[in-house]
Amino acid sequence: MEEIVRRLNAEYGFNLSEEEIKLIAQQAEEAHRLFRPLYEVDLTDVMPMMKVDRRKGKE
Amino acid sequence: MKSLDLAELTISEASAQIRRKKLSPVELITLFLERVKELNPILNAYVTPTAEQAHADAKAAEREIRRGKYRGPLHGIPFSIKDNLATKGVRTTAGSKILSEWVPDYDATVVERLKQAGAIILGKTNMHEWASGGTTINPYYGTTYNPWDLKRIPGGSSGGSAAAVAASLCLGSIGTDNAGSVRNPASFCGTVGLKATYGRVSRFGDVPGTGGFSTDHFGIFTKTVRDCALVLRALAGHDPRDPLSSEEKVPDYSRSVGKKVKGLKIGVLRGYIEENVSGEVKRTFEEAVRLLQSLGLKKEDVSIPHMDLIPAVQTATSRVENASSLVNHLRARPRDFSPALLYRHIQSLTIPATTYVTAQRVRRIICREFDEALERVHLILTPTTPIPAPTIEECQRGYLEVDGKRVALQGLSGSFGTTCTIPFNVTGLPAISVCCGFSSLGLPIGLQIVGGAFQEGMVFQVAHAYEQATKWYERKPQLPQA
Repeated sequence: MEEIVRRLNAEYGFNLSEEEIKLIAQQAEEAHRLFRPLYEVDLTDVMPMMKVDRRKGKE
Repeated sequence: MKSLDLAELTISEASAQIRRKKLSPVELITLFLERVKELNPILNAYVTPTAEQAHADAKAAEREIRRGKYRGPLHGIPFSIKDNLATKGVRTTAGSKILSEWVPDYDATVVERLKQAGAIILGKTNMHEWASGGTTINPYYGTTYNPWDLKRIPGGSSGGSAAAVAASLCLGSIGTDNAGSVRNPASFCGTVGLKATYGRVSRFGDVPGTGGFSTDHFGIFTKTVRDCALVLRALAGHDPRDPLSSEEKVPDYSRSVGKKVKGLKIGVLRGYIEENVSGEVKRTFEEAVRLLQSLGLKKEDVSIPHMDLIPAVQTATSRVENASSLVNHLRARPRDFSPALLYRHIQSLTIPATTYVTAQRVRRIICREFDEALERVHLILTPTTPIPAPTIEECQRGYLEVDGKRVALQGLSGSFGTTCTIPFNVTGLPAISVCCGFSSLGLPIGLQIVGGAFQEGMVFQVAHAYEQATKWYERKPQLPQA
């Protein structure tokens, strides 16, 4: 995770200190642990919840 | 009318008097502005009062009403607006340093509709930085204080709006709710707070980066349920400028207020909510459920199989959507976010697209499970917040004691204060908070009533019946003199 944060730091120009990079990486790892159970759900035939915003065309 | 009476006044009462020409909008607005001048230095509810414009608008309203052009129940009624809703010609900061001097040249649709209804805007209210937290301890615009106890937070992120209504610094306010930001402060300040069905109220004019595209809602603060129904009628309806706003017809919600509730079925939501709620809130909530049963409502328990995944779905969804609105600010002025918020946005940039889409798929399952539950019961009930308002000190420390256990206010699964509210940001279902009693320290406790999609009428019906049976809303905070 630290590598990802370093890459973002360079790309966005956040100018983060080493200490900040470590802290953000640690917090991000914790957040990613929260997401793990999402991948354990059986999602066969389940479409994402997204509204495709199209309107009926002229007839 | 004496200044003291303002604490007792509601929109319905004021508008009845204005309509009969027994109360002048100029007189009413002048009294409210005097009260704002007196109490805002204590509460810090408003960040930008707009007294001059409010006086001018009140005079115009009075002229119109005298000429016989009465616009309806919001004509001449004082409102405030959270500072992440665009207001034409009035600074709109979103509680941020970056937008500290931004003056929009357009109104959010809800602001436009309030103005069309004749409401008078008294100013912009304080909020959590970028609406990204639940305390309204703002590093740039100061802390808003809870009118019930000045050592405590009003909740957030719409804390200024809730404090303003609770302290009668206006009669209604508009906020936003991405994870509970209307219902949480309504609960902490003892007001009514409604988040309608997703799409019921246009979100055009929301400052980007103050909520997820699919989880954020505009919401309403009032003193009573009847008032809330009046305001929603004025704000709701399709808006071509918000492609996700609904074309569902807007009913006259006032007709639901006062309808009999006997025979309706309520479901008490079980699951992780119960485990997080303090003993005192649990007892107060159970008493509220018993009261509703005594009014003839039938109760059953409701379980949602994938309930435990709601915090993960909410976090992945709202953080990714929010970060996508902020990338330009993050590149240009990263150090103009407070450090904790900057770190959180950088974390959001690490969330893979696959996680976001997986969360949206799990979200569909959760929505289906709630829809199925709402086929068995008419409404779902939960406490609004797991605890009453914590102290400012506890929030700054980051943890508090709940029933002898140490609880982190911001944990892995998001903010502790949003435990009960986020299921309805994920599902987009309408949810209201009404006061259901007071803690041993005299702090308000909220009851959350949730309906099926576009069933706001039924939500109002039951919330009003509860409110009238208990009259908790008649209790007012004792405010110090400036």
